[in-house]
Amino acid sequence: MVALVALGTYLPPWGSARGRVAGPDEDALTLGVAAARAALAAAGLASPAGTADLEAVETAAAVGVRRVVFVTRELPLLVGGNAAALLAGIGLAADVAVVEQVGGAPAVLDALAGAAPGTLVVAADAPQAGQPAGAAAALVGPDDTAGPAGWVGVELVGRVVRSLPVHSQAVGEPAIRDYSDARLERERGVGVAVERLELAEKPVVAAGLAAKQAAALCAGSPPALPTLGASSALFAIAALHELGSGGVVLAAEQASATAVRVDGPPAAVRRDEPAPLAPEKVTRTPGPDIAISLPAYERAFDAKLRWEAGRCDACGTLALPPRRRCLACGSEAGWTLAPLPRSGEVYTAVTVHVPVPGMPTPYSLAIVELDGGVDVRALVKVTGARPGSARIGDRGRLVLRRVAVRSGVPDYGYALFPDTPAGSVAGEAATGTTEGAAR
Amino acid sequence: MRRVAVVGAGMTAFGEHFGLGIKDLVPMAVSEMATHVDKGLDRADIQAAWFGELTTTDGFPTGILADTCGLLDIPVTRVENACATGNDAVRNAMFAVASGAFDVVLVVGADKVRESSARATFWEWAGLTRDMAWDYPLGLVAPANFALHVARYLHESPATREHLAMVAVKNHRHAVPNPKAQLRYEITVEQALNAPVVVEPFRLFDCTPQSDGAAALLLVGEDVVDRYTDRPVWVRGVGLGLDRVMHQHKRDMTTFPPTVKAARAAYAMAGLGPADIDVAEVHDCFTGVELISYEDLGFAERFGAYKLIEDGTTTVGGSKPVNPSGGLKAKGHPPGATGVAQCVELFEQLRGEAANQVDGARTALAHNIGGPTAVSAVTILSSDRG
Repeated sequence: MVALVALGTYLPPWGSARGRVAGPDEDALTLGVAAARAALAAAGLASPAGTADLEAVETAAAVGVRRVVFVTRELPLLVGGNAAALLAGIGLAADVAVVEQVGGAPAVLDALAGAAPGTLVVAADAPQAGQPAGAAAALVGPDDTAGPAGWVGVELVGRVVRSLPVHSQAVGEPAIRDYSDARLERERGVGVAVERLELAEKPVVAAGLAAKQAAALCAGSPPALPTLGASSALFAIAALHELGSGGVVLAAEQASATAVRVDGPPAAVRRDEPAPLAPEKVTRTPGPDIAISLPAYERAFDAKLRWEAGRCDACGTLALPPRRRCLACGSEAGWTLAPLPRSGEVYTAVTVHVPVPGMPTPYSLAIVELDGGVDVRALVKVTGARPGSARIGDRGRLVLRRVAVRSGVPDYGYALFPDTPAGSVAGEAATGTTEGAAR
Repeated sequence: MRRVAVVGAGMTAFGEHFGLGIKDLVPMAVSEMATHVDKGLDRADIQAAWFGELTTTDGFPTGILADTCGLLDIPVTRVENACATGNDAVRNAMFAVASGAFDVVLVVGADKVRESSARATFWEWAGLTRDMAWDYPLGLVAPANFALHVARYLHESPATREHLAMVAVKNHRHAVPNPKAQLRYEITVEQALNAPVVVEPFRLFDCTPQSDGAAALLLVGEDVVDRYTDRPVWVRGVGLGLDRVMHQHKRDMTTFPPTVKAARAAYAMAGLGPADIDVAEVHDCFTGVELISYEDLGFAERFGAYKLIEDGTTTVGGSKPVNPSGGLKAKGHPPGATGVAQCVELFEQLRGEAANQVDGARTALAHNIGGPTAVSAVTILSSDRG
């Protein structure tokens, strides 16, 4: 049995109640990072808003996360590696092991039920058109007694691994092929897999299945889940929080299935699920690859992906980006990376409408005065809001996004996610955050 | 230092010169300059040249100037200082003559923007001015660099988008009689306000076109002026100013400190002030930049620029006409050529020969800002020797 300490979820702000779509600046990695930070926040280890919480990132690193298992079918890079960007975005140290795994919902329950202490399971779906996007993450305690908000046990009930590839995509193929036989999939795929699990009790939630099929397999009326892929398995466990009970959780994919038993409602769940906006119509202008300098990429990487400034060793002034000569005292003696606040106020903003090769337009750019009296401004893109809607004086938080794809390399950095007009903090779901001790 | 005078000036028309390469435009401008030297120019008199060019389209810039203009026996120095290149080339040449090192020197500015595909141009030019890791991937197109300033300026000052439109209307009107201008047609405030958005708050008519062109000046020392003309235009002051290069490090974005510094230096050298300027060519790559520059150059009090455009002060016929040539907005903007071409216009203004003549102009100012907003160059010219 593993100790599930906290869960975090993230849904992109685009789409509808029927399903979300990733924004043009989102991929499986940025979705996963958002969910992972929500999970660490639920565990009391990081604040997504980061308002006055400069040490949050360091705390997260210190908590004893020793391994990240990243499960998705949409790894941004197949060659070149996603691990460093994932750790930096989450705020974990560069000596944490990362497993990059291609898989769906059953693979995530397998990863969770078999997780070593101190594992953060991150599951992300950024699928091709037509399938919903989202991400969720689960933190397994460093041992089976720890956890600031208590923990619930997760235990494997059964697993069936079979093959019926009614949806398939071979290496090198541009898109998923569909065999298009729903009844075959339902009866000989999931149907047989669940039968062979020989579950002693009916699941309370089922992941990876359409609502109707999930309802047929579950006891009572199971909660609807926002995704169907890898992340749906953790959305299913998170749903136990609202259900207020434990139970068997089923995850199915084509002809395979895994079931786990969760021995109570998870206490610490943080949902970063902003209300959906209809997707923005964007213009894509073809053009030459956007150039990248890999030496410049490598030099900037830590500050840029960890949202850290250079703090002057002589006078303490922060500089973003870090620079040899201090902006204030002129010292060239050296600097040390220091975390930056993740919220701020728009000093000025503009919106680019003219077509830009390689970038979906329109998009807004803003200079943001960061909170906490740090006297640091950042020039960033705006995300999660209609282009042109962010105004001088508006507030928001800084979140990891794929700022550009440069010659095939995802270039990650931070973007301003404006606070919604009604809410205090952008991206917090109406249902809000619930953290508390379960035991 | 010796006094230095401009005794000849010429330029190509600005426009989309698809049929002409940089190797055509440069000698065209130099030859036109030579024909405007009142008492004639023997090219063998030219002792050195400064060539302002921001990007090179056909290879090695100084070699191209020497080769295409028949000046193979003199030193040629390239000046590149973003959009302040042209007036900085004037500045460097001026010091070379003032020092006594040379008596007769050539200044050329040129650029050929419409030489690569429109799709490639943006990223090529962004690479010249942006931090490769931090800013470049943001898609900070040229208008966005200035729009970040102007958006804040419109927020803090009483100026509105209508005032931006009025700058465009004025400069388009000024360009109509100028045979060298790229956009020789009038527009209305309504047209400007309703044009397609480029980068909010800039619409199409708030923006300079993309241009090709070249301009040339002949600068000589006071001892030899009489050999070339009886009506010299004196270079009274030059100045260059810089600022932090990244927008996030500029504390007050409603002003351009490089302009303030460059103007201060040029006014001090000339022993003149803003009130002495009869006509100015001001860097109006985007309309709002002209407004902010009125304040930085001392023509208006802080946040008072809108009054000058509202009451016609800066229109030809007003008390301080700005951009009688049409400015970058309507004359065009091949960056390396722009500052030199401003001085060509002012040379003609101060000799009473301009297409859109400002009556009785005796002292004039040329101004560039670039990098995108981290460098400025200012040149003060006068028909008074001083």
